[in-house]
Parts: sequence; C-alpha cells; structure tokens
Amino acid sequence: MLFGRKQRNPIKIADKGVVEWRYATCGYCSTGCALEIGINANGTPVATRGAAGADVNRGKLCIKGIFEHELFTSSGRGTVPLLRERRSAPLAPVTWDAALDRTASEIKRIQAVHGRDAFAVVSTGQLLTEEFYTLGKVVRGAIGTNNYDGNTTLCMASAVSGYKRSFGSDGPPGCYDDFEHTRCMLAVGSNLPEQHPVIYWRLKEAREKRHFPLIVVDPRVTMFAQMADIHLPVTPGTDVVLLNSLAHVILNEKLEDRNYINEHTSRSNDFEKNLEDFAPDKAAKVCGIDADTIRLVARTYAKAKAAMTIWTMGINQSTHGSDGVVAINNLNLITGNVGRPGGGGLSITGQCNAMGTREWSSCSGLPGYRLLEEPAHREEIARFWGIDPEFFPKKRGLAQTDIFPAIEAGQIKGLWLIATNPMTSMPNSARIRKMLEKLEILVVQDAYADVETVRYAHLYLPAAMWAEKEGCFTNTERRVNFVTKITEPPGDAKPDHWIFAELAKRFENGRKMKVPQTTAEAFEEMRVLSKGRLCDISGMTHARIKAEKGIQWPCPDGATTGAPRLYTDGHFRYADRKAKLITLPFEDNNERPDEAYPFWLNSGRVVEHFHTRTKTGKIGNLNKFSPTPYMEINPDAAQALGVEHMQYVRLVSRRGDAVVMAQLTHRVPRDMVFIPFHFHDCVNRLSLGLLDPYSRQPAFKQCAVRIEPVAQATAGRLNAAMRRF
Amino acid sequence: MFDVREDEPDYARLHDPEAHTHNRYGSLIDLVERSRLPAGESMQINGDLSVGENPNRYKQHGFHFTADNCIGCHACEAACSEKNDLPPHLAFRSVGYVESGTHPNFTRINISMACNHCDDPVCLKGCPTRAYTKFTEYGAVLQDPDICFGCGYCTWVCPYNAPQLDPVKGRVEKCNMCVDRLEVGLKPACVSACLGNALNFGVIENVPERREEIRTEIPGFPSPDITKPNIRFELKRSIPNTVTRTGSQALKYVQKHGERYHPELDERRAQDRRAWNLAKLSSRENPLVAFTLVSQAVIGAFTILFLARLGGIDGLAGLAETGAYPVFIFVELVLLAGVLVLSTLHLGKPLRFYRGFNNLRHSPVSREALGVSLFFNALGAHWLSTLLGPAWLGLLPQWLSAGAATLFGAAAVFAGAAGLYFMTRIYRIKARPFWDHWQVSTSFFGTALSLGGLLIAAGWSNALAAPSLRVLAGLIILGLAAELIGLVFHARAMRASSNEGAVAHHEQTTAYGYTYWLRNGLMAFSLVALLTLAVVAPTGLPALLGWAAAAAAMLAAAVIGRALFYVLVIPTTMPGAFFWRNKGFEAHARETGLAQWQQVGVAPETH
Repeated sequence: MLFGRKQRNPIKIADKGVVEWRYATCGYCSTGCALEIGINANGTPVATRGAAGADVNRGKLCIKGIFEHELFTSSGRGTVPLLRERRSAPLAPVTWDAALDRTASEIKRIQAVHGRDAFAVVSTGQLLTEEFYTLGKVVRGAIGTNNYDGNTTLCMASAVSGYKRSFGSDGPPGCYDDFEHTRCMLAVGSNLPEQHPVIYWRLKEAREKRHFPLIVVDPRVTMFAQMADIHLPVTPGTDVVLLNSLAHVILNEKLEDRNYINEHTSRSNDFEKNLEDFAPDKAAKVCGIDADTIRLVARTYAKAKAAMTIWTMGINQSTHGSDGVVAINNLNLITGNVGRPGGGGLSITGQCNAMGTREWSSCSGLPGYRLLEEPAHREEIARFWGIDPEFFPKKRGLAQTDIFPAIEAGQIKGLWLIATNPMTSMPNSARIRKMLEKLEILVVQDAYADVETVRYAHLYLPAAMWAEKEGCFTNTERRVNFVTKITEPPGDAKPDHWIFAELAKRFENGRKMKVPQTTAEAFEEMRVLSKGRLCDISGMTHARIKAEKGIQWPCPDGATTGAPRLYTDGHFRYADRKAKLITLPFEDNNERPDEAYPFWLNSGRVVEHFHTRTKTGKIGNLNKFSPTPYMEINPDAAQALGVEHMQYVRLVSRRGDAVVMAQLTHRVPRDMVFIPFHFHDCVNRLSLGLLDPYSRQPAFKQCAVRIEPVAQATAGRLNAAMRRF
Repeated sequence: MFDVREDEPDYARLHDPEAHTHNRYGSLIDLVERSRLPAGESMQINGDLSVGENPNRYKQHGFHFTADNCIGCHACEAACSEKNDLPPHLAFRSVGYVESGTHPNFTRINISMACNHCDDPVCLKGCPTRAYTKFTEYGAVLQDPDICFGCGYCTWVCPYNAPQLDPVKGRVEKCNMCVDRLEVGLKPACVSACLGNALNFGVIENVPERREEIRTEIPGFPSPDITKPNIRFELKRSIPNTVTRTGSQALKYVQKHGERYHPELDERRAQDRRAWNLAKLSSRENPLVAFTLVSQAVIGAFTILFLARLGGIDGLAGLAETGAYPVFIFVELVLLAGVLVLSTLHLGKPLRFYRGFNNLRHSPVSREALGVSLFFNALGAHWLSTLLGPAWLGLLPQWLSAGAATLFGAAAVFAGAAGLYFMTRIYRIKARPFWDHWQVSTSFFGTALSLGGLLIAAGWSNALAAPSLRVLAGLIILGLAAELIGLVFHARAMRASSNEGAVAHHEQTTAYGYTYWLRNGLMAFSLVALLTLAVVAPTGLPALLGWAAAAAAMLAAAVIGRALFYVLVIPTTMPGAFFWRNKGFEAHARETGLAQWQQVGVAPETH
C-alpha cells in the first residue's frame, strides 16, 4: 500500500472561527427543527448546526436548515420603505413615517368610500406567533376589516376545516413520538423525504427499531412510496373515495371499535348508508386502486393495535381537501385511534409558523381558537383589548382565495400583503396579475424587495427576516419553540411587529388599545388569553421554552411538561364532547384530462427549495440542485410525443402556458406530468385552483394540460433570463 | 480541536468495539503494522498538536452506504459543503441516482459518494506534485491544495470523481474524511447529517449496527479492482438487470447472469443521428492537443535525423551537415518551448510548475515532464555545440567539442523516447476506458514518425533530392499506418467492450460522426498520396503540390484526431442527478448564459 511520504505535512481544514452558537428554531418548514447559528469574532453568522439536545430533530438538519446562516447575506433584501403614486412610476425611497402615514390614510380613505371590508389584509405562516397576535389585534381591533386571512389557506386550511368539523376545534392531536408507538401508518399525499426530511428521519428511526407497515398513497412513485410496504398510486382527486372505501370495509367486516364509536362519536343516519356507495368494487373504478388491495389496507389498519395517518398537500390541496381530512378523522374515530399513542390523524403542517397563525392571528376567528360567531368570545376579547365588542364582525369574512376574486370584481380596492408572494404562489397567475393591477393601493411588506409581487406594489415596507427578531414558532406537533435574535435587519428594515405597532398608532382604536411594543409583551397577553383554552400556553414563558428547547401545548400553569397528545380522554370540543362522524358523498368536479388536454398536471415540492424561492433561490448551495423549472414526464408518453430528455417543451392549459425542461422518468404515470411549484411564472400559469367548498383551499394538484413543442434556443435564452433575480 | 456539541447524540459518535485484523484483500487493517510508519504523532490539524485518543486511530476506516435507504435529500452534501465552506460550484460529496422499471413498478436508487480513501490510491500515484498522502491515521487519503498546481490529473485517474478541480482557484481539493471530527471521536459531518439512515462510517469490513451486508459494489459503481476503495454497501432490494442514468451521457448499467453491473451504451438515449460538431472539438484541453502533437513531431523529427546520421541512411544522413540544420534545430526548440509554455499555462497555478518533477517515483506525469524537459535541454545543448562547433576549438579539448554534439544528441534521443513513452503511460488510465488501449502508443509514436518526417520535409523542402523524399515518405507512411492500425483495433475493441469506452466510441461515430470519418478519410488520403509520391518520386511542381496536399491532409487529420481523443473520453463517473453533476446541463448552462448566476452552481469554464 502506498502512503506517499514518511514525514507528513500539517493538515488544513476549513475553520470558520465560530466563537458563539445561538439557538433558534428553523424558519422554513413546520418540522420545527432546533438549530444553532455560529457567530464568528466579527459577529457575522457563518455556520449552522442542529441543536443536539432538542427533541424534534435531535441534532439533525435538512439541506435548507444547514445553510440557513447564508440567509442573512442573501441578495435582494429591502432596506428602505418605497413608495410610488402609480405603478408606472418607479418606486422611490421614503421615510417610515411617510410610508405608514400613507398606508393608514389609504386604508381610511377606501374604508370611508367603500366600507370597512373594501381593504383586505393577507398575511402569512412565517411570522412569529407574537407578531400574528399583534397583527390580529391591529386588524380586528383597529383597522376593522373582515377581509383578513393568511396564505395558510393555500396550504393548511383544509386540515383546519377538517379538524373543526370532526372534533369541534382546530389542533393536530398527535406528535412525532407517535411513530415510536404506532403499528401501522397510512400516509396520504405526503412526501416526507422531500417535504419534511427530518420528520422522515424520525419515522425511519422508529421503523428500524421496530418495523411496522407503511402504506403510501400517491400518484407518483416518490422516495416515500419506494420506502413503503404498500404503495397505492391513486387517481388524482379521488382520495375521499379511497378513504370512504376503507371505512366501508372496516364497518362491513366488523373490524371497528364499536365501544369507542358509541361513547365518543355522534353521526347522522345516512353515515353507513352513504358508505355503501364506496364498496371496494365500486370505489376501485374511481380511485384506481383494486378492491383486494383496498380490503388489505383496511384490514391492516383496523387490526393494528395503534394505527395512524399522516397527510400533507395531497389531501389538503384538492376540491375535497376538507372532506379528505374528515374522512381520515372518520377512519381514526371508527377504529378508536384518536388520542391513542401511535394512533390518530396527524396533519403535517407546511410553514414554520402556520400553526401560530391558526392559534393567534385572528384571521378566521379570534385569538386562542376563539370564534367571531360566539358573542361570549367577542365580549371577552373586546374587553381584554379595551374596545367596543360591536366593532367586531359577527362572523368571519373572506378567505385569501376569495379575497382575490373580490378584488377582481371590484369589491376590494386595497390590499396589504405581509410576507407572502401571491404572484408566484396563487393559482392562475394571469388572473392574479390582473387582480393586482386593479388595486388602488397595494402595500407589500416583505424582507425581500425583489419578490415578484413588489412589481405591482405602490408601497413597499422592508421587514426583518427570520432570526432578526425574537419570539416563538409552533410546529406540526404543537411544540412552541424559540427563535433568538441572531443579527440586526439590514438598513432600515424593521421587525414586522414594530410595523404593526406603528401602524396601529395611526388609528383611533389603535391609540385606545395597548398594542404590544415587544414580542415579550405580546406573549404575555397571549399567555393570559390562553388560560383554559385548548391551546393553553399559560405554563410557558420565553425563558422556559428556550431552556427546554420547545414545549408542546396545552401546557397550563403549573404543568411540568407539555401535552404530547390531544383527546386522550375521548372528550372533544363540541358541546356534547363527542366527535362527529361526517357523511361524505363524492362528486368529481375536477378538471380531468380529456382529448384536448390529455395530461394531469401535478405539482409539488423539492427538498432544496422553499415555496417561491425568495430565500432558497439566492443560496447557491440550495438552488443548484434545481436551478430552473423542469417537469417529470413518463418516458413512454414522451416518446409518443417525440419529447427527449433534457429538451424544453411548452405546456398549455385552459389558463395559459409555460415552458419547462423535460425530465423523462417512470416516477410519474403515463398520463401525468409533475412540476415543482417553486418557480416564478411557471406552474401557476397553468394551474386552475378550484376551491374546496369548506376550506377555500385551491386544488393545485388537479388540472389538465397538453404538451407542445417549442424552439430550443429561444426557450433556453428565455429560461436563463427569467431565472435572474 | 473540533467543537463537540453538548449532548452530542450517539449516532454521531464513532463506535467500533471490535475490528477484523485483515480486510477482504488480505491486507492488514492496522496501518501502522502494515506500513511500519511511526505512531502516536499529531496530525497537526490547523496547528493543533494534540493526538486523538481513539483506540482505532490507526485502523483503515471507510464509509458504509445503504443504497436501500438513501432518499436523495442532499443533507450529506450540504453538511459537507457547509463544514468545508465550499462555493456552490464545488462539492466533495455528491448524490446522483440510477433508475429502473416502469411506472408504478419503478425504483430509483440514490447514490451518495465522496472519496473512498482507497487502499491503492491512483490519485496519490498519479499526482506529479506529490500533493497526496495516505495517513496511517484512519487510512485517510488527504490532498494538500497548497502543494497542488492544478493540472487535474488526479481528476482524470480517480474512478469516483473524488478530487475536485476548482476552475476559479486553479487547484484541487477533496474530501478529507473530516479527520478533525474523527480525532474527537465523531463520525464525518455527512454521516452525522444523513436523514435516511443510509450513510455510515467505521472501521473497514465492520458491519454497522442494524445492517447485514458489506458488498464492494452496487450498480453504477466502477469496479473495485481499480483502486480497492474503502467503501462498503448494502443493497438488499432486488432490482431489474438494467438501470439507467439521468445525465446526458447515454450510459446504462446491465447485469448479465448475476454478475456485476457493467456499463453499456443506452440505445434508447443514444442519438443515432450523424453530425459534425466541429466547434465542440475545441475544449479546455486544446493546449494538450497542441503540446502532444508538437512535442511528438519535434522529438520524432530529431530522432529521425540523429539516427539517420548515426546509421548513415542515404539521403537523410547528410542533412545534419547542411547550413539549414542549426536553423531547423532552433525552430524545433522554439516550437517546443512554445508548447511547453502553453501546457504550463494549462495548469491552474502555472507558477508552481517546478513541482511537476516531485513524483518521479510513481507518476507518469512527472516522468514525462522530466523526459521532455531533458530532451529540450539536451537538444539545446546539442544545438549550441553544433552552432559553436568550430568556435569551441580554441576553448575546449578536441575530443570534447567534437563529441559534444553527438553526446547531447544521443541524450536527447534517449530522453525524448522516454518522454514519449511516459506520455503514453499518462493516458493508460483504467478509469478512462476510451484511452486505456495500446492505440495511444501507436498514435503517439506514429505521430512522432509521421509529423516528424513531415517537419523534416518542410524544413528542407526544395533542397531535398528524390531519394531523400522517398525515405521520408516511407517513414511517414510507417507512422500513419501504425496509427491507422491502432485506430482500427481501437474501434473494434471499444465496440465490443462493456464500459464507457463503448459509449465514447458511439458518440465518435454519431455526434462527431462526419468529423470522425473526415479524419479517417484524410489519413487514408495522405497515406495513398505519400505512397504515390514514394513510388513515382516526381520532382518540381508536381512534387511540391503532392507533398503540400499530403501535408495539409496530415495536419488536419492530426489536429482533428487528437482533439477527438480528448473531447470524446467519458470517464467512469458516478451517476449524477438531473442538474447537478450532469455534464449536459453544465454545458447548456454555459451556452444559454445561466452559468453567469453563481447560484446555478456551474462555474464558467476558465481557459
């Protein structure tokens, strides 16, 4: 064996000179990994590592988390407020006072002429919980518009709606620890390795210690489907049919937990009758899974000592999203799995703090899972905030996906967008563009000045980003965790909570109320308001959360730990304390492939990017894995069309067209193409986004396209030009 | 010392309670026993003089990759790039994949690979500057970028693409086995980051916890016989006997009769259309095209003249006495100097060129460099002696001045032959099957004869009598014939082979098909033309025209042929992904201008 030399030279290995590690919770997805950012002697964040003692990730991070320190120097950050009178003029710098004065005056002008609801507010799932609370206080208490929602409607609204319908309240009942106890897992429309790789690792660890069957329902053969024991390549948009069929088999073969059903659930008379339409032989024709497999899965699930279901966008982003969640809840209720360790339905959440906005932002209700529809709740909050309860509307207003059509129809004249990018994330980009162009005033509050939506803004408010402000996030499993302030925001960018508090001062009610000036103040108000609620955090403080590296709610005052599960006693949030088994008829209203548009257009995520790439598109070590839009297409389908690997093609739908590079792979069925949704001016030019009737969440994964040739050289140049920031 | 976290989890800690004494090749795993090198020394990492306390410190370690489990999440790549502070266009560890099956019976196998710290490190042997050392500590093969001068030869010889030549910094770096982590008892950063429980690390030939297999290969992995890599795999699931790659190269891996998976041409993806692609003949290796052609011609020409003189061959022997001779030698020196400078500039760090002689013991690059340099110096001395011949008389003893030119001439011939020989050895790389054939020798020596002869003919042109021209033509024909024979056998061998050479040859006959046949045609034409000239032996204008035509054809063929040699080679690369580690996408990114955004991760090529 050759060693090369006897006298070895000294070795040099990269050393970034970290002198201090600061704790934070990741700002990307809702896995909620705890990490540490390494600061060097100059105070610059230069490194990231997983926080070893934290329960969620136990020292691990995914590719996005590993490079999170590079975010602070990413390009395109806004440093100064910008204003213009008309969209045709360039944006010019102004002072914060001028910008906020203008925002307030425009809001008041529009409300005076067209009514309080003619100005809408759409926020996000990525602010701190304390900021959501403050925003809610300002919007509900001072501005007073009822058209107030968040981009979580694009992601989690169906889960929220389904939980509320089945259990009487929002709140995912399970936790990651359930992986260690479960005996059977059904994963519907979830691609954990790509979307939540650290949650996948938790699952993998549990399965290596004690194997249990994993059944993955997904039209594509994802890595998750490959790791499954059984993969069900379901027909798009028909999950409810499959889930109903599973319930049918369980009841038909008397595999249900009759005791649990009798004691803890209520249902209408037509519940069982409706399920007869979903007998396996009938269901197979619709959902594409053969009857025997349906029976096998149903029996495996029902006979397991503890069985759980996880799901993400495959269920939520469909016209039957809410019904899909209810169907999952039905399945778990009839098998007695809700509240059991290793059992129940755990929705895997999208954004790092979508949970926080659901709990505290007052978008769809009032803080702390309270309802606008409840007079007692309106009284309580109004009194706490020091305003007249009559100021509150008596039911919630429009969801985000209805706010945009209201703009289109001229009912809403002004919009304030906070940390969200609908130009890229909303379906049917052409329509959204027209809507944004109609607005009399568009205020965009974002960390990045080069986010695509700013092109349509009259006012740009530069905001601080993740870890440039301090506060809490709540993750998928109800764990409240802390984000330390690592560094100052650039230039004159301000934390969102400062912007909210300053804006409030310009409104009468805002001056009357005591709007929290710091996140610690906001947290204190939340703590008090949460006492006795399902999302009880009265036992938590910022210090305690930091020390324990995250605490699950409910954690009432005096509790020594957070609560890993909800509904362990079988008592739900309806007045009769019973969950509802809800009858779910099914009618396929999707835009299915036909002769003119023969392909299903499926969209989804890749692990290296987050949402609209405002962050990840700028970090080379992430972006390089998917630098330009591409499409997975089945090689047999490609050959029939004459499409070659790595060739550009043009896709056309009933909304518009898009150009992508073709990747031939047998991951997708012959009649489907898959495009990652992250790229601006791409998949959403094609998507339809029919809305779920309950949750108003768009069906991003079901619509039809056809494929056309395109000139390669032009496509290549266009593509390169479009990827610049 | 590496900063270990409080509560560092167990999965990150090295854990090998037992170890074998020998690896599967019969060699000792304990490297101090094996090498008799001293133990107990500090590795001096970043100036730290401490010595790690790991009881397995001197045992060969290696990665263990469970291909069943890898989900392609890039966490290992990211952790490595973050720890080593790498820019987007570089990575020490890369994840690619192979695919098989028809939906929904589809399998994708992701493969994560960095450096395998081989038992027989070809990088260490090939590196002319001795930038590589295999340490007895952990068996880590470490490269020193401060010694490296960026020739990139290690990137040619490594079958796994472990060394990374940074076109921006002009030097190579690679996976360092995170020895700073190993010294404090931690597994490498990539292993610690793995989210699929696929990547592991420990003493070689140990089966990790919860695993069963320690295979030496999986589909897509080159034969372990080349370097005896210290990596083991587990792949329990059954896969079809054909798996394909997603990159631009039309390569697939096929298993016949339960043997290992061999690379083969992927006909589905292979373009059968013939094209020219003349523009693509120009590449980063243009300086090497020039260098090899010119140096071969120069060495060949001088060797012919010297041996002809020594052997008294009619027509050629007398050329050394003519007045044109010193001028001819001077021109040769200028030509050779020119391409030597060119090939030095081809280095990432040209100012470190003198280090190229550091590895005479093992590296054909060092040996060739020495051979050609000695040839150059000897030729220079020969030229000086020839020039100053009579003038020396006063200064030197008779026997010395008379014999000096001959002595230096002989030295030049020997050095030149050695230089040429090692030049061929440089390209006999197992990891580049298209090159690893005796055709390299017939090509290089053949070119020396043919272009050398041509150089002489050009040098003395009108002054040459018919017999001389005949002899020259004969020599050139010999050279051309040798080359042609070599090429024919090479084409046959490549077609029949089960490796990347077959794919390269297929590209030669399709994507560069017209160019390929143009080269063949030109060679055949010049052969026939010279035969005619040799037999008929015309004089005056017809001779001039005939020779000019043959010369033009030969030169064109030589340049095209040599360019094809460099451009077509397909190394045994690990399978890449669709964008990352896909040469086709990298080329596309440069063409369309995507590469100018550093976030695309494609470095614009530096020349």
